[in-house]
Amino acid sequence: MIKFETSRFGSLEVEPHRVIDFPEGLIGLPELKKFILIDHRDTPLKWLQSLDDPDMAFIVGSPSLLVAEYSLQLEDGVRKYLQLNKEEDLVPLVIMRVQGEDIIANFQGPILINAEKMRGVQLVVDSKPRASQKAG
Amino acid sequence: MLVLTRKSNESLKLGDDITITVVEIKGGSVRLGIEAPATMRIFRKELYDKIRKENLLSANVMEDEFAKINKSLGPK
Repeated sequence: MIKFETSRFGSLEVEPHRVIDFPEGLIGLPELKKFILIDHRDTPLKWLQSLDDPDMAFIVGSPSLLVAEYSLQLEDGVRKYLQLNKEEDLVPLVIMRVQGEDIIANFQGPILINAEKMRGVQLVVDSKPRASQKAG
Repeated sequence: MLVLTRKSNESLKLGDDITITVVEIKGGSVRLGIEAPATMRIFRKELYDKIRKENLLSANVMEDEFAKINKSLGPK
């Protein structure tokens, strides 16, 4: 079991296979490399809690909670990065927050998790199309 | 900051794996070609900064905000 502190949920113990590895952390937060997903009672939302920083927890949910149809064009590099073998292992999540009366969902920086390998990444969705694929 | 002058079609190497080529210079814009390993993540900096800022704003949400978001989703 892995034991760690959180500011919202107190001291937690989880089995190692529940820990999601973000090799490069989140965008602008490279030090946050390990997370777990915590269900919140009977809601469809989850907490994405950092193991590296007790204060860092994000509210996340499936994009399908907010939009009827959600699709992402995944570059091969992202598949390789996540070591994705099967499409059905891919779990997309969006980070949400409250601003005044509005709910802000970060569709420009969605999180993708490969549930098989427990590997995650935060994408930067570029609305401008790329001229060509990256080499390599 | 290291500053180098390059002409159109000239390149830079960043280490062994990354090559950045000046593809075209037109008006106030420079088109760059980037060759890098497929798993190397490349961003437009203004987008990166925007998402970084959004992440920082989202990291400190509390339980009452969770309830608010959940409520806004409506019955499931």
